Amino acid sequence: MADQILDRIRDVVDGQIDFEGQKLAEILATAVLAIVGGISFLVGFLLQDIALALKIGLGGTALTFLLVVPPWPFFNRHPVKWLPLGGEPAITSTQQNIVIDAKLFAK
Amino acid sequence: MYNSLTRIQAVFGFFTTVAFVVASLIAASDFAAPRTPSATVKATNVQVVKGRPHYYSTKKEEYAIIKFSLDADLSSLFTWNTKQLFVYVTAEWPALPAGGTNQTNKAVIWDTIITSPSADHLSNLGPAALRKLRKQSAGKSVDPNRGKLVLKNQKPKYQITHPSGRIASTADVILRVHYNAQPWVGVLTWNQDADLGLWRKLAGGVSAAFELPALKTAAKKAGSA
Repeated sequence: MADQILDRIRDVVDGQIDFEGQKLAEILATAVLAIVGGISFLVGFLLQDIALALKIGLGGTALTFLLVVPPWPFFNRHPVKWLPLGGEPAITSTQQNIVIDAKLFAK
Repeated sequence: MYNSLTRIQAVFGFFTTVAFVVASLIAASDFAAPRTPSATVKATNVQVVKGRPHYYSTKKEEYAIIKFSLDADLSSLFTWNTKQLFVYVTAEWPALPAGGTNQTNKAVIWDTIITSPSADHLSNLGPAALRKLRKQSAGKSVDPNRGKLVLKNQKPKYQITHPSGRIASTADVILRVHYNAQPWVGVLTWNQDADLGLWRKLAGGVSAAFELPALKTAAKKAGSA
């Protein structure tokens, strides 16, 4: 029972996303941070206000963290299709037993 | 990037890179801003008195008290990247014997820190003076008026002497104005000896030569302006 709770906590803390999601996360983080950096310099330079540039930069970085770190659903739109166990064709039944040793299948 | 921890690390890593690049751009933007500082300084009242380095000292030394007038326009030194400007006035006179290997004697007689509005919260002022300073800038992020200094017969901060303890009747003393511009990001810069691109060297900034009088404070030199 404690195992189940720990598993659930681990899933939440892990925040796993699929591979397409990881690619998207990387592109998003790079693009948003670079654009935020550019905007913060330009706005600061044109308005001659360095405190504003700092605020824009830090705010944009916080936004990037919020956008990329939590496992949002749009990062999980292409889940990995794992092959069935033991080399059998794909099992359509919703019931699958955990394989403890090779002799245990569910058909 | 497969779990939240690695995503945090990746985003933070790129954030530090972006921060470094933006800071370099800001520091480089300083070179695109022209600097045209100018200053005139003259000694108005010079005295030499006998004194001690501190209360319990048995040594007796001669100290020169050089009051001066300063008119400076250092407003072009204030950009968005300026944190504060440190301005100081030195008294310099040649070392004897003339033509020898000793360095010119130099001693700071007065200095001040002029903060840019973005750094006012770091200044060494009490709440009332700070409020007054902020009101003068009227909410501007860069206030060039802070670079305009007008001092009349200013009392020096420091009384100067020579390591030998004798400074009376010294000839060929001049006052020189220096500044040190301290940026938020970038290199520290001082007043330069030659023009560098858009940055001009300080126009003026050196007083006419005057003499330190003999002891007995009766000698009141009006200063050779």
